[in-house]
Order: sequence, then structure tokens, then C-alpha cells
Amino acid sequence: MRRVDTPGTGGYFPRPQTARLKANDEGIAMDSYLTPYLPILVLLLLAGVMCVAITFFATVLGPRRITNIKEAAFECGSPTTGDPHARHSVKFFLVALLFIVFDVESVFIYPWGALLRDLNGDGLGWFAYFEMMSFMATLAIGLVYVWRKGALEWT
Amino acid sequence: MTFNANDLLGVLPAIILSIGALLLLMSEVFLSTTRAAAQAPASPGERVAQTATAPEISSTQPDRRYQAWLAAGVAALGLWAALSQLGDPAISLFNGAAMSDGFGRVVAATVCGALLISCFVAFGYLEWLRATRGEFYALTLFSAAGMCLLAQATDLIVIFVSLEVMSLALYALCAYLRRGKRPAEAAFKYFILGSFASAIFLYGAALGFGATGSTRLADIAAGVRLAATGGGPGGSAGLLFASVALLTAGFAFKVAAVPFHMWVPDVYDGAPAPVTGFMAAGVKAAAFAVLVRILVSGFGDPSSSIGPHGWQQIIVWLAALTMFFGNLLAVPQRSVKRMLAYSSIAHAGYLLVAVAAMGNAPSRPDATQGLLFYLASYGATVIGAFGVVALIERKFALAGTGDDLSSWAGLSERHPALAAAMSLFMLSLAGVPPTAGFMAKLTVFRSAIEAGLAPLAIFGVLTSVAGLYYYLRVVVYVYMVPEGRADSVPGGRVLSASIALASCALIVLWMGIMPGSFSAMIQSASGSFGR
Repeated sequence: MRRVDTPGTGGYFPRPQTARLKANDEGIAMDSYLTPYLPILVLLLLAGVMCVAITFFATVLGPRRITNIKEAAFECGSPTTGDPHARHSVKFFLVALLFIVFDVESVFIYPWGALLRDLNGDGLGWFAYFEMMSFMATLAIGLVYVWRKGALEWT
Repeated sequence: MTFNANDLLGVLPAIILSIGALLLLMSEVFLSTTRAAAQAPASPGERVAQTATAPEISSTQPDRRYQAWLAAGVAALGLWAALSQLGDPAISLFNGAAMSDGFGRVVAATVCGALLISCFVAFGYLEWLRATRGEFYALTLFSAAGMCLLAQATDLIVIFVSLEVMSLALYALCAYLRRGKRPAEAAFKYFILGSFASAIFLYGAALGFGATGSTRLADIAAGVRLAATGGGPGGSAGLLFASVALLTAGFAFKVAAVPFHMWVPDVYDGAPAPVTGFMAAGVKAAAFAVLVRILVSGFGDPSSSIGPHGWQQIIVWLAALTMFFGNLLAVPQRSVKRMLAYSSIAHAGYLLVAVAAMGNAPSRPDATQGLLFYLASYGATVIGAFGVVALIERKFALAGTGDDLSSWAGLSERHPALAAAMSLFMLSLAGVPPTAGFMAKLTVFRSAIEAGLAPLAIFGVLTSVAGLYYYLRVVVYVYMVPEGRADSVPGGRVLSASIALASCALIVLWMGIMPGSFSAMIQSASGSFGR
């Protein structure tokens, strides 16, 4: 399998430093470092122009007939009830916080799992293994902590 | 790429502190059987009522007093680890991501020492508020671990991670006594502005990466050299200059330099006094260490316009503004905590003078030595000063007054030792001769003159003379203004605070009277650092 992020294959991102410095050493004329990002700038400008143009023409050309029903807040088709500024229990924030902790853990574990074989080939297998184990052990201690503190109980 | 298990020894202080923090967290949950018993300190009114009626620890709460000693033990272990490696040669760790050199070790020792003394200060304070929890000490230990790593990091990613480890723990610590508006305000302001500063730092790091293709400071230095000779990709010189300016701005926030100082008074005021002391000492040490490392190791190439002569101008102006406004704004403060907050801004200015002096290679060793000496002496002094404030704060809660200067009137009659200690710390902050503050200012200003920054040094001396006014005003209130009320610091559990204050006072005097013995210790540090 050919990996897209290996040098020489183009890759996701231009590699400004190493590739360019080498090119420079070989005497190839380099213009601005930011040149590869020019298409992105063009895209941004186009997007901006499109947004403004569409909104402008819709406002100028489109008919505008406001009725009470159109002005009402839409909530899945049923009549709205209650105050939109309801207060939420702090428990939701706690759950969100705990979710992020373990979400980030999985973010780290996936690439680690995918790369472990390669790392083993480089002689870093056990290092990577123990590194991840100590990371997970730290998080496990955190889990034990929130569990014992009662943060996992809803009531 | 290889991994050397010995590299872990290089970051030993941080490892010790992290393991200690995890131990404390576990001890907290497995000891506490009465989980539901409101894990928060009571409101001030209730606290006063409780202390008045039931001085003993109530039976529903487990005895957590060992936690302070455990934390202090871990801090002492970290201090030992940092000091035992002090004379070793500098080694690069983890393929250049971190560095174990004398500079980092001295800063780590300063941080661990500050933590150790802060544990003693916090013990009595928290016990009195019935707020002793493992989380407090665990968070301080985590934050100290971040500080130690920050002083050793030589990779922008590692710097960012350590910065967040340090800051996130401190945000939580600011709101530790969470009832009431002031702690919430302190933590919220610190968190919002701190995240903003982190974002600025990250933007600077991204630009540096964009210009050089690496986050290692050594590679950035190579990129700076290349840009100086006209090589490198076009426009990279401009990118690098923007990068160094943004990185400096990010850390100027952390060290509380004007114009990034707005958060300081409210945060220092709202946070518990022991936390404020630790924050003032530890964050300053770590943030200055990493700022210097970025500027000197990363952007220190003398032949480049981005190098020293580029950033030296930024730092000189930051230093001048910080010294001027820090001292000026401290003058009208009547709250001692806010006065100390503005004084902390002013001291950031004096420290920035040392950083500016590092812009010139010949004066770099002296400036490094001055910076380290200043950080250690300021740490000891400010923790002592906030330790006294912590003791006085107990009285405020009983008397119901703010920490106005009038609360300090007549302190010398009731507590002569406390009054003497506070006066000593004030004199040291002001920079009066027999104290550490004088020697620190002397070395810093001398290195600035060596570096050809005589106007900045003169300006610094003038502003510190202006600073005498508000420091000595506290001494005047303590000794010369007769007391209004005859209420004293509530008794009991002041032993730990006395130990802390006595050790701070001893360090301040020792560094002031025999600076040579301490300078010899940091000599190796300054020699090994920088090119």
C-alpha cells in the first residue's frame, strides 16, 4: 500500500521546509513560500463572492411575503412550549467532560494501533507499547477516581 | 529514531510529581467513605460558625491531614531529584524534544521548592477552612509537573502540552474555594484569557513550523540561520519574525507582562492565598524558563535580523512598559493581595530586563545567572508574603472585613514574628540591601548594563525606587498604625505556616547575605545554557 504522506508522493500537505530547502540548495528558483496555498485563497475568495452574490440577488429579486406562520419558530412541526432559555443540570456538562476524556483516548489509540507494527519494525515496539500502557493506566486511574467520586451515577 | 530508557531519568522531577499526584487522587477516593458529605467548603458564614463551635474535625469527614505531608514528601523528592542532577552534563532527551541541563534543573528545583513550602502554607489554611481535599494537592502536583517539563522542553509541541498541564490545573485551583463570586471570577478570567494566550502561542508555533518545517527548537534555529544568510524559502524571514512575536506574546501573558496583565489582579485576589503564592512563584519560573529557551535556543542566532536584535527590541519595550505600569498601578492599591498582584507584574518587568540582556551573546551567561537567581529569590519572597496573607485572611473571615490595609494595623503588637517576617518580605520585594531581592535586582541590572542596555537598567532602578512607597506602606501599617480591633489570628495549626514562613525568611536572608553560595550552585546552569 502506498502511503499518501510519504515524501515524494505529493501528500496531503505541501512540505515546505525539507522539500523546498533541498530545491533551493540545487539552485532552482523559488518564489514565495506561500505560493502552494494560492488555490486555497482563490477558493476562499470564490466562496465569499458566491455567498454575497446569492444573498444579494435573493434579497433583490425574490418576492417577500411575511405571514405569522412563517415567522413562528419551527420546532419539528409541533407548537413550541416552554422557555428556550431553560437551565440544564450541571450533570450534562460532567458527562460531556468525561466523554471528551475518553474520546481523546480513542483518538490516540487508533493511530497507535495502526502504527504499532511499523514501530516494531523500527525497534520502537516495546517503547510504543509501554508508552500507550502508561497513558491508559493514567486514564484508568482517572476513571477509578470519577467512579469513586460518584460522577458516573446520574441521581 | 530510538528510545533510550535513560531519557526518563532526565525528566525525573516531573515523573515523581505526576506519580505523587495520581497517588493523592487515589488516596482521596479510597479514603473518603462519606462521598455525599458535600465535597465543598462551606460558605464563609457557616465556616465561621463551625470554627467557633466545633474546632475538631467532625466525625463524618475522614482525616485528610496526611495528604499535605504526602504532597510535601513528593515535592521534597522532586527537589532532591532536581538537585542531585545539578552538576551533571547537559543531555538532549527524546530525540531533541526535551533537554536536561543545568538551567532546566535549577528551574525544576525552584518549582519543587516553591511547591514544598506552599504545601506547608496550604496545610493550615485548608484545615482551618475545612477544605482539605486530595484534589488540591493533586492539582498543585500536576501543575508543578507541567512547570518542570516546561523548563526542559525544547520542542514547541512538548512546550504546548506542558503549558496546558500547568495551566489547566491552575485554572481549577483558582476556583478551589468555589463558593462566592470572587473565586469564580478569578478562575473564569484566568481560563478565558489563558486559553486565548495558548491560542496565540499556538499560532506562533504554527508559523514557526510553516517557515522551518519542524517544531524542534534546534531546527528552528537552523531555519533562522538560513533565513539570515538570505537562503531558505522566500518570505520565511517575515514568517519567523511573526512567529517569535506571537510566541513572546503568548508567554508575556503567562508571566503577566504589560499589556497582557489585565487578568492578574482579579486572579491573584480571587484565588486562595496559598495558591496565589505558588502561582506567582512557579508560573513565573516556568514561563520565563521556556520563554528564554525559545528566544535563545530557537531564535538566538546573532547574525539574523529575526535573532537577538529582532526580539531584543520587543523585550526591551515589554520590560519598560511592565516595570512602569506595574509599579504605577500598585501605588493606589489598598488591598494587600491586589498590591502584591501588581507587584508581581512589576517583577515580571525586572525579569524581562534579564531576558533582554540575553539578546547579546557576551552578557548571556551573567544574564542567565541573574534570571535564575531572581526567579528563586522572588519565589521564596512571594510565597512568604502570600503565606502571611493567608494567615491574615483567616482573620478577615472572622472580622468580616476585606483584606484592606487597615486589617494589618497593629500586627506587630499581637504577632511580632509575623510582622517581622512580612516586613522582611516587603523589603526583599522592594530590593533593600540585606535581602535576596536586592542581590537579584543587582545581578539583573548589572547584566543589562553589560549588554549595553544602560537606559533600561536606569529606568528599572527608578521604577523600583517608586516601588518602595507601596511596599513600605505595608510595613508602616504593621508597625506604626495603632490597631483598631483586638482580634488575633485564630490559634491552632499555625505551626506548619510558621515553618513555611521561617524557611522563606531564611532563604531570603541567606540569598541576600551570602549570594555567593547560591550563585555557585547556578553557575553550572548558566554556563551550559545557550550558545
